[in-house]
Amino acid sequence: MSKFLIPDGRYLLTAAMDDRVRHMARAPDRAGERAHPIFAFVAALGGLGLKIADLSAALGLAFERGPVLARCRLSYDAPLLVDRSYDVRAEIDDLQRKPSRVFGAADHLHLSIRLRDERPYSRARLHIVYPAGEA
Amino acid sequence: MTRLFEDISGPDMAEWCALLNDDNAIHLSRDAAEAAGFGPRRVNPGPANLAYLMTLVGEDLAEVDARFTGNVFEADNLTAEAEPDGDTTRARLLRGEDVLVAAIFKEKP
Repeated sequence: MSKFLIPDGRYLLTAAMDDRVRHMARAPDRAGERAHPIFAFVAALGGLGLKIADLSAALGLAFERGPVLARCRLSYDAPLLVDRSYDVRAEIDDLQRKPSRVFGAADHLHLSIRLRDERPYSRARLHIVYPAGEA
Repeated sequence: MTRLFEDISGPDMAEWCALLNDDNAIHLSRDAAEAAGFGPRRVNPGPANLAYLMTLVGEDLAEVDARFTGNVFEADNLTAEAEPDGDTTRARLLRGEDVLVAAIFKEKP
């Protein structure tokens, strides 16, 4: 498992951003302050202390070859709200290279990312697969 | 329940990437998608696909476990399906075959 420490980040979730996500997701208009639940993912990745491209480079992963999302698990402690800023704390749960039928070999990165301010809001656990090309 | 999501937007993919702070070129460039082996159309970001399922099942969620089993491309037409299964809602996004399957919990499992 990687010992790389991901710096903490922050994500400002505005009403305008929620409006755009709702339009793109073809979701109903917002009720009150409650943001679309996909922000548990969007704010987690978007608010990392470094961009996913830079995190990938720091870990020696081939971001330029087009990583794909394999799985995500989102857990909600409370609904995310608009016009709030969230602390984003992430850690690497696992990183392994495995044989791949599609890519020859692939690097499997497992991230856990929590959103909170004074209280916890959500946790995203992401499994991202990077083509590696050689076993 | 079932809902169609037609004509997936390529320009929207760039907006998703901006919100995600994600420069993955397969979402932004047809040439990059082709070079990476995905074919000649841009690839929709995974969370966009999951957002369609959330639109179908509603926003009052406790837990979501989603597996991304295929890719969605610009101009695709998708079908989202969901049905209750005990304490869970089983949801799928299809473009001919499954591209995303999810177990969605309204209360903590």
